[in-house]
Amino acid sequence: MTRRSAFSIVIVAPLVMLAPAARGARAATEIALTIEQNRFQPDEIKVKAGVPFVLVITNNGKGAEEFESKELRIEKVIPAGKTVKLKVPALKSGTYGFVGEYHEKTAKGRIVAE
Amino acid sequence: MGGTFVITLREAFEAALLLGIVYTYLDKVGRPDQFHYVTRGALLGVAASILLGVAVTVLSGPLLDLGPDLIGVGVLLVAVVLLTWHGWWMRQHARAVKGDVQRRLDEASATRRFWIVALIAFTGVFREGAETVLFVWGLLAQASVSGIGAAAGALLGIVGAAALGWAVFRGGKRVSLPKFFAVTSVLLLLVAGGLLSTAVGKLQGLGVLPITSVVWDTSSLLDDRGLVGEFLGGLVGYRAKPSLLEMLAYVGYLVVAGALVFGDVVGRKRDRGPAPPSAVLTGEDKEVVTAR
Repeated sequence: MTRRSAFSIVIVAPLVMLAPAARGARAATEIALTIEQNRFQPDEIKVKAGVPFVLVITNNGKGAEEFESKELRIEKVIPAGKTVKLKVPALKSGTYGFVGEYHEKTAKGRIVAE
Repeated sequence: MGGTFVITLREAFEAALLLGIVYTYLDKVGRPDQFHYVTRGALLGVAASILLGVAVTVLSGPLLDLGPDLIGVGVLLVAVVLLTWHGWWMRQHARAVKGDVQRRLDEASATRRFWIVALIAFTGVFREGAETVLFVWGLLAQASVSGIGAAAGALLGIVGAAALGWAVFRGGKRVSLPKFFAVTSVLLLLVAGGLLSTAVGKLQGLGVLPITSVVWDTSSLLDDRGLVGEFLGGLVGYRAKPSLLEMLAYVGYLVVAGALVFGDVVGRKRDRGPAPPSAVLTGEDKEVVTAR
């Protein structure tokens, strides 16, 4: 493999990976989650394993919060007063923690898929 | 206040590291007169971060739901390409230079080089920039005494990260040119590999790429939520629970980009046996070149 062709692989491969992003979404169960006083309400969410769902997160707090789940690879800033819909892919059964990154001590919760 | 300090320090750390490296790079190749490329790239990154921060608070609906994520993934992938390009170029440069770095850089290609460096500065800052803007803005908006203290902590975190970048620059100036090229080309590959696996993880989180099983779990040894784990995550892409796809992307990238950037080293050793002892040259701008 020449250096040039190897180089174009490095450039093209990541772009090809982006292509399926256009895939449409089917209507999925929406689960509401509220942020208030640097806490999540509710702090435990039960979902069906193997079924994608949508988290509808509303930030009623005074400042921005970042919904973060290392395990789900989700990081999403939600400005104060805003609602964000997050599509979550189908999960294997198990418990997945999440935090509000800006207030990790109080803003904690988990998603239980079963 | 301490908590917000750590958050912004962590978010700005990678940008500061990259800025430190590219400033040092320009200094090393004898072109500190071109620092303005990096400075402008970084300032544009700040401006773009503020714009995106404003956009996120104004927008709603699907633009808010998906827009920032797609921009985030795009920035990550562009950064991977730029860092690979830069690493490759540094190796070419190190090979080609037979003593006078200055003269080589005066070639026409040098201008294009500066643009890449400027773009690296831009993506480095923009990557976590909007997040940091929103965070600090949110703290200021609280308009309480504790909010002001928290915002002060957050700003100090950015200053702390800048100090780290400055330390990289000062330290980088002292090491020899070949060593600087060698160390940074390895480091930039690891950073880029980490960015690529982060992009893959984000695409998995978005449902674009399929979810794959967790390859290992070292969270009890070194949690990627802890301070050290987070920094290692930003630096070399450490994950306590990497998914199969993330790991493949990381390893695959290192193999392909490593062959691209360091292929000549391996090839030379195989063709001619161990490299002969390097001639030791004196002077800052001298490159140590083995006979070819």
